[in-house]
Amino acid sequence: MPPVSLKKVDIVASLLVIPICLYVFYESGQWPILPDLGNPAWIPRGVAACLLGAALLLLGNALAGRSLALPSRLTGADRARVLWIAALTGAYVIFLDRLGFIATTVPYLFGFGLALGERRWGRLILFAVVVPVVTYLVFDTALNVPLPRGWFR
Amino acid sequence: MVDLGLLLRGFGTVLSGYNLIALVLGSFFGIIIGAIPGLTATMGIAILVPFTFGMTPITGIVMLLGIYTGAIYGGGIASILIKTPGTPAAAATVFDGYPMAQKGLAGKAIGIATISSGVGGTFTAICLAFFAPILALFALRFSAPEYFALAVFGLSVTITLSGRSAVKGFISGAVGLLLAMIGLDPIGGFQRFTFGFPELTGGLSFVPMLIGLFALSEGFHQVEVILTAPRVSAVLTNILPTLKDLKECIPAYLRACPIGLIVGITPAIGADTSAFLSYAETKRASKHPERFGTGEPAGVAAAQCGENASTGGDVLPMITLGIPGDAATAVLMGALTIHNLQPGPMLFQGQPEVVHQIFAGMIAANVTFVLLGLLFARFFARVINVDRKFLVPLIFVTCMVGAYAINNVLYDLVTAAIFGFLGYLMLRYDFPVAPMVLAQILGSMMESNFRRALVMFRGDATLFLTRPIALTILALAAFTTFVAVRRQRKLLRMEATLAAAQDESAHA
Repeated sequence: MPPVSLKKVDIVASLLVIPICLYVFYESGQWPILPDLGNPAWIPRGVAACLLGAALLLLGNALAGRSLALPSRLTGADRARVLWIAALTGAYVIFLDRLGFIATTVPYLFGFGLALGERRWGRLILFAVVVPVVTYLVFDTALNVPLPRGWFR
Repeated sequence: MVDLGLLLRGFGTVLSGYNLIALVLGSFFGIIIGAIPGLTATMGIAILVPFTFGMTPITGIVMLLGIYTGAIYGGGIASILIKTPGTPAAAATVFDGYPMAQKGLAGKAIGIATISSGVGGTFTAICLAFFAPILALFALRFSAPEYFALAVFGLSVTITLSGRSAVKGFISGAVGLLLAMIGLDPIGGFQRFTFGFPELTGGLSFVPMLIGLFALSEGFHQVEVILTAPRVSAVLTNILPTLKDLKECIPAYLRACPIGLIVGITPAIGADTSAFLSYAETKRASKHPERFGTGEPAGVAAAQCGENASTGGDVLPMITLGIPGDAATAVLMGALTIHNLQPGPMLFQGQPEVVHQIFAGMIAANVTFVLLGLLFARFFARVINVDRKFLVPLIFVTCMVGAYAINNVLYDLVTAAIFGFLGYLMLRYDFPVAPMVLAQILGSMMESNFRRALVMFRGDATLFLTRPIALTILALAAFTTFVAVRRQRKLLRMEATLAAAQDESAHA
């Protein structure tokens, strides 16, 4: 597979960074300046100015076609798998605290295994059930680190 | 100087009861993490930090040191058996380790790798015990301007030496600096960049961020490559090397040990650079350089010894000055802080017994992984074959549990998940992650000491030019940045010329 230029990525990254820098300038202008303590905005503004310079340099390099290249592009099934796992993890984060560790982790692990292409159902179900129970017991009982109980409260 | 009495008592503490169990377990899990390609020492420490919450500080730290040293060594196992480095640091072991395995000498290669890692690691851990108290004593002369200069030095080297592009390294580091500013102003005490979220008043949660950037991000990357993981087919025999084998490796040890120590102390470069430099130097000085790359035991010895010899050097600036040498020690530093141990010269003054227990733990961890590596070599070789379809989800759940377990709040989980995906995108698109994390630590150190220095000298910024130590460190920072940027530009030009030449030959 031919190398893939990072031109688009570099342009998007620099365009994301520029407003962050501008916001730093805006917010730091509202901070109180206390006598003999120096201006609290010096370092944030200095960092933001340097970051702005670096982002413009990255943008300039990208537009001039001087971006680095990657060996391959993430496409098709690989990309779908990553996005599916990211969505599943997002849902897991949202529900973990509300539904409890075991009630959330069992479907999470089952869905995760499915997304990775595991079709040995017995193994998958065993894995999805045993791991949350053992993890819960290890953390809650042996290590004294409480995990959300949710429905089991 | 090192207090030998305290060090001996440190050994007594480390090698007794729960501490010994934690050390053995840490080393064992460390080797497993290192042996599985894609899982790094940094990731191992980040994932397993939460397991230490319920432990006493020294038990937890000893366990993490076991993971750190064990994982650095364990990377060599996969290099030898499947030509894929278990950790980035073990890449140099592939050159001669894999050809040895192809000749049916996989057992011997793993034996030599194990002993060599142990020699390098133990040497550097002893050096750490001897040099750290001296450096800490010197660091007592440091005040706010010197700490500011040290932070600038650490940041400049970290940013310029990380990744293929200095600009991207700089962007990563600068974003890390801005993230470090979230929360309360260090002197004025007013809120900054909190966007009205009360959770952000205390700043970003550091450990969830570490778990996200170093462990979850790698988990996402594993999701990408899950179907192409190689499998081990080699049979391991004659693992214990003979005295003759080891005698032939002594010249490699004599070169790799000091190289590893010096490379380790240098900020931002660590085990991978040390392994390559040690390998190259041993090959250059050998009477038979042509044998290197074809299965030369001295090549394996040099790479593995250099790799582990950097660990003590990496820990040295972290424990004496509070400046982590690389990503793994940044995570270790985070773990120390969680256990209420603030690295720096005051730790040597306030808790010398704990410091010596850490030294003893570091030495003992290097001996432990050698014993485990030789005893369970066949088991660790089989671990590489573990089914990724079960391992990767397990990593994700452990990360989530770890992030939640710190404060039992949803906010930490969200932090880990966001930084996990951000870290994955950064890895994917060639933005180095380490500068962002190191900038988090060094950023707050830089800002608070700069502001403190201004308060000390009533707002006069020229004071930095009147303090010889601070001025020297700042000049060193400027010089290393200049050299590193030049070196990187030269490398990129060489890369472009090589690519153009390859294109031309392909067309021809």
